[in-house]
Amino acid sequence: MHRSAFVRTLRTIAGWLVVGAFFFPIYFWTSVAFRDAKDIFNWPPIFFGFQPTVRNFEQVFGISLGFGFGSQETVTPGGGNFYMGPRLWDSIVVATFSTVLAIVVATLASYALSRMHFRGRHEFVNWVLSTRMMPPVAVAIPMFFIFKQFNLLDTYTGVILVHGLMNLPLAVLLLKSFFDDIPAEIDESALLDGASRWTIFRRIVLPMAKGGIAATAVLCFIFSWTEFLFVLTLTQTGLKTVPVVSSTFVTSIGTAWGNMAALGAAAIVPAFVVILLVQRHLVRGLTMGSLKQ
Amino acid sequence: MKERDRKFYLASVTDRFVRGQMDRRSFLRTAGTLGLGATALGMGFGSRPFGVSRAFAQEQLQPSAEVISWLKDVAKPFAGTTLKLATESTPPSNAINSQLKKYFEEATGIRVEIEVLPLEQVLQKLTLDVASSLGTYDLYYIDQSWSASFSEDVFDPREQLQEKPDLAMPNYNIDDFMPALVDGIAKYGDRWVGVPYDIPIFIMIYRKDIYEKLGLKAPATFEDLLNNSVAITKEMGPNLYGYAGQMKSGHYALECEWTSMLWGNGGSIFNAEKKFVGNDERGIVALDYYTKLKEAMPPGVDQWTWDGQGQAIAQGVAASMLSWGEFFPYFDDASQTKVSGLCEAVVPPQPVALRKPEECGYGEIPGAGHQGGSSLAVSRYSKSPDAAWIFMQWATCADTQALITTLGGGTGPTRASVYDDPRVKANARVGAGTTRHLSVVRETIDKYMGSEPDLPEWAQLSSDTIPVGLGKYFAGSYGSSKEAMDDIASQVEAVLKG
Repeated sequence: MHRSAFVRTLRTIAGWLVVGAFFFPIYFWTSVAFRDAKDIFNWPPIFFGFQPTVRNFEQVFGISLGFGFGSQETVTPGGGNFYMGPRLWDSIVVATFSTVLAIVVATLASYALSRMHFRGRHEFVNWVLSTRMMPPVAVAIPMFFIFKQFNLLDTYTGVILVHGLMNLPLAVLLLKSFFDDIPAEIDESALLDGASRWTIFRRIVLPMAKGGIAATAVLCFIFSWTEFLFVLTLTQTGLKTVPVVSSTFVTSIGTAWGNMAALGAAAIVPAFVVILLVQRHLVRGLTMGSLKQ
Repeated sequence: MKERDRKFYLASVTDRFVRGQMDRRSFLRTAGTLGLGATALGMGFGSRPFGVSRAFAQEQLQPSAEVISWLKDVAKPFAGTTLKLATESTPPSNAINSQLKKYFEEATGIRVEIEVLPLEQVLQKLTLDVASSLGTYDLYYIDQSWSASFSEDVFDPREQLQEKPDLAMPNYNIDDFMPALVDGIAKYGDRWVGVPYDIPIFIMIYRKDIYEKLGLKAPATFEDLLNNSVAITKEMGPNLYGYAGQMKSGHYALECEWTSMLWGNGGSIFNAEKKFVGNDERGIVALDYYTKLKEAMPPGVDQWTWDGQGQAIAQGVAASMLSWGEFFPYFDDASQTKVSGLCEAVVPPQPVALRKPEECGYGEIPGAGHQGGSSLAVSRYSKSPDAAWIFMQWATCADTQALITTLGGGTGPTRASVYDDPRVKANARVGAGTTRHLSVVRETIDKYMGSEPDLPEWAQLSSDTIPVGLGKYFAGSYGSSKEAMDDIASQVEAVLKG
């Protein structure tokens, strides 16, 4: 009894240590956001016990949190006249709509690939897979010219389209594997009962694949949230997402680490909220198919 | 408290606040105690951009009425135009973007969109624009190392002045741009690739308190620099080192610092026959010197660009650096660093020997004051070149440059007259945004400036071939400095042969 309590305590400590190790970089980065520049590069480093400040947030978002630093006149190292609030909103819009686009198209495509047997099906799946192997930089520049022709440069539509297309192959492949795990006999029984393909898809298969769709959507959202190259190439001043504006804190006279950390810390929040919202489905989605019939 | 004492005390408190030695809240509380509200002081509750009080900013730091009047007249046909500029995040661009362009937009009706990006991404955007000839950007920010590549893609400003006298700004005075900068930054062959817009330049920055404590004098020669740095490291290490470098393997920063060491020891990158000679006798002496200096630097210096180097000074880890003068105002900002008021600026150490420009190739100009910098130019592919030319004149005229220097935190002006502007001189005191180092910057530009060669391959050589080779040398991949430089020489030749 004594021994098992000891083991339990050890396990708890080990668990906390592992959690601590994973969360420490996030803590440290966030703590940098609350430091003055002179406290960021202390040697030996200070992990706790520094004088906290919200100055970085005020500068980056052009707001006043009541400490007297923020205002629309604050000059941020990243260029000044664009405050990061709108840029965070750009990221939210682009990631949300490109995820919706990818999921809607991929759900229909992957259901068809999973259930309908047509010539060239396997080749089609392989082709979808092969598009993931293409380096984005090979596509970005031709895409710049195409987008210029269609006036899609620097627009939400353009970036949402690109991110949607970028995530589509992954979404198709992932969702196909989730649909494959739902027994086809269920579809057949429903067909015998007179249900149409669309009804089966909408009323039976889709609810069963909810977990898988949530897991795929989270991945699409995160890929779009962190994508850099396409946004850099296809936008100018109209819109910018967080990864691209983060890079503007690298200035000719050094890096504004405090500002960059403030934006980074704020940028974690929306992605965290999305994951929290679908967490219940996510666990189901990740374990779907772990037990085979 | 007597009225006279109260005033003296208030003056001292205000001075401490303006110098960044007192936080805003304490200042307002003290001022309130003394019976003087924030409004009375003209401070309001806004920020102090770059340490300049808002009252000062509002009254003094506005474009001149003459300039605004000219803008209103000349820009009438272009109202409603939108101009685009992609630029690195530099003090001039940031000051224009965040503080000054509103005046231009209000006066002209021309909208200006400034896209701020890291340097290499600006290059990517401009290259794409030039390759496509689409005119996505109306104005180009051209780093001095790209001037050869973009020389045919921009208008020569002298031609614009001649061909469009009706658009010329009165008293624009193109001859006011410092000749050394025109040669070093803006010229490629006979063409002007825009006008000098930004001038970061190497000056000597050192901790006066440490030097005085050890009885040392500011390094006047490269020999002094090495001896002083070694002495400080020996005496005060590992808490404080004599020198901080920018030696990150494969980064342009390492190439910049190496070039300074090379020129300062009598070497050059190319000879008059346009052959790489960093591996000749002077080149080897220079690399050996740099190797010895590295021994007086903090560990980890080979992971630092100028950012890490600047932080080493700001955090009190190192006592000196030969680096960009733009850092100096940052060091004086008490809210950002621990060394406010402790640093001094002097001209770079005198070289052991100095090769003459005519002994070098591709327009290289040896000098210990390594110069960076950029030009501003109107793109040949712009859909609105005339409106862009008006903006360019406004952004680079003496009045705007004086405002940029003051608002932009003490960056070096590219026009001679701006160094004497009363608004610029008024900030020559210890504190954030100081301009007290600008006399040194000016002297360095005039007498000690070193310029890298101009050739289309230089972007690749300076940002890849040379710093990668040097990084490998400092990581111990070569048997000797000679072996390293010979290998770099063969790689440079291969790049030049294509």
